[in-house]
Amino acid sequence: MMPDFLTIAGAAKFFGAARVLDNVDLGVKRAEFVSLLGPSGCGKTTLLRIVAGLLTPDAGTVRLDNADITRRPPHHRDIGVVFQNYALFPHLTVAENVAFGLEARRAPRGETRAAVARFLGLVHMSEFADRSVRALSGGQQQRVAVARALAVRPKLLLLDEPFSALDRKLRETMQIELKRLLRELSTTAVFVTHDQDEALMMSDRIAVMNRGTIEQLADPATVYHRPATGFVLGFVGLSSRIAGEVVAAAGEEVVLATPRGKLRAAGTLASGTKAFVAVRPERIRLGAGGGDNELELPLRDIVFQGSKMQLHFDAGEGDQVIVEAAQLPGLPLAPGAPVKLSFAPADALAFALDAKP
Amino acid sequence: MKPRRERIDPVAWLALPAVAYLALVYALPLIMLLARGVMGPKGFTIEPLASFLSDPFNWQVIANTLKIAALVTVVCLLIGYPTAFALAWSSGWTQVVLLAAIILPLSVGVVVKAFAWQIVLRRDGILSQLMVSLGVWDEPVRLLFTETGLVLGAANVFLPFMILPIYSVVRLIDPRLAEAAATLGATPVYRFRRIVLPLTLPGVLAGVVFVFSLSIAMYVIPSLLIGDRYQTLATLVGRSFLFMRNEQLGSTTATVLLVLAVAVVVGSGVLARRLGRSA
Repeated sequence: MMPDFLTIAGAAKFFGAARVLDNVDLGVKRAEFVSLLGPSGCGKTTLLRIVAGLLTPDAGTVRLDNADITRRPPHHRDIGVVFQNYALFPHLTVAENVAFGLEARRAPRGETRAAVARFLGLVHMSEFADRSVRALSGGQQQRVAVARALAVRPKLLLLDEPFSALDRKLRETMQIELKRLLRELSTTAVFVTHDQDEALMMSDRIAVMNRGTIEQLADPATVYHRPATGFVLGFVGLSSRIAGEVVAAAGEEVVLATPRGKLRAAGTLASGTKAFVAVRPERIRLGAGGGDNELELPLRDIVFQGSKMQLHFDAGEGDQVIVEAAQLPGLPLAPGAPVKLSFAPADALAFALDAKP
Repeated sequence: MKPRRERIDPVAWLALPAVAYLALVYALPLIMLLARGVMGPKGFTIEPLASFLSDPFNWQVIANTLKIAALVTVVCLLIGYPTAFALAWSSGWTQVVLLAAIILPLSVGVVVKAFAWQIVLRRDGILSQLMVSLGVWDEPVRLLFTETGLVLGAANVFLPFMILPIYSVVRLIDPRLAEAAATLGATPVYRFRRIVLPLTLPGVLAGVVFVFSLSIAMYVIPSLLIGDRYQTLATLVGRSFLFMRNEQLGSTTATVLLVLAVAVVVGSGVLARRLGRSA
């Protein structure tokens, strides 16, 4: 197995009495793209700043490329950062911004000029080289910030919500572009975001963070389909959920008694536990399914979403049932009419109820 | 950046009262005064200016004026630059106290301050006693009526005019710029030279222009701290009008003072802009 390129061990940080980061471990492999995903205040930016050397952790170590860099100042770390507001130097031109890191390292003039030309080309900003950065749009500033951080060929690139200031359409283009660029350059990257879609689409692995800890570290499909905790389930994607009580447990499967009938789900909970069953909306089928979990609920709303339809059902107090389907079957679906639904026990997950966010 | 030539913004009319006031009570008398310097009994003449410049004493006065103004500006810059950062980066009560300490002295009249400095700078004054008791000086020294004393006193009076413009630009610098520079491999010294210094240059320029123009024209402070034997252009203007009743000399001296002040202010502006571009 390939050893980790970046290793964070037992990182902790307090701001006054508030524990912002609680004993966090994280390993990132060479050329891997790992996202730190979580709500604001979960500690993801604090963790990023610790890796960059802009904050000193109260406990724990940071190792990069087989060296302990915990106490090393940022200018000796060889870690590039793309800041949320880009932090471009307002008194310098686009080319001077990109050249800054090389000049600070006293690279030969020719090498600097070549690197500036190459990286401005990679982010499609060559024609803006002599412009003032003040005259650029948000998307252009972001490209310059990426070029500036990459031009020194850092060992690791950190990105702090670099897309949050861009409008939706531009954001998607930039995400695809950046992902491709980082792969072409085999750049190791840690990416901070609160946007689950962004994390799912860009990452090799996602670390879902909550209250200063990592709740789950896994590839996007696992995070989405097999969330480790109720928090991860709630934070990443939509889900239908029905509360009840565990009445039988065998191996990896439990049976819950709910107001909607007995439901089987994956999970390891003891009998008697108050719990809920969660299913992703696209894993619920319209119509009866032989041997699977079945529900019959009145339809409340149909929401047209272009490529898919979203059906909301009247569930009990505190429960919600949402179904997503590419197209509606030929049956008449009128609001208020009861509809049969089914889903496989393997697609359902049981979580203890107090773990619900 | 050059301002674009456009039709006058209607908002500019809001400046009309100020423009009218200044034209009437400042620009007009100034033009009359300057005219007197170049108008003889037989019309336009440069004779008064030529005779002023041919007198070596007047050259000494010009040198005194520029030397004192330059020293006061440098002292204010050296003390004021770090102070502006302390003010901008402090918070809460520290900042309130610092700001009060800088702004409140402005409410004390310059005459009061100059007299206070007379007491501080005497041979038996506080400064002399302090230096002797610290062992820096072997015996009491009188700084009053010396160039050093004048520069100390004037720098004290004009310091806020250096600190406040620098403070106002430091406050606007995004702290992430320095962080970004650090992650790009820049040492603290390099960060200061390439990022912080160029970005504070407009504030430095404003402070230098304020302090230099104030100290090139100061009259009360040199009168009280260095006395009659040491003349600057401003005190010479005062003497010409008040004691020698020589309006021609006074006007000519005032013209020279004005030209010097404008030249230095404009020149430092051009210089700072050029430095800012090459940094």
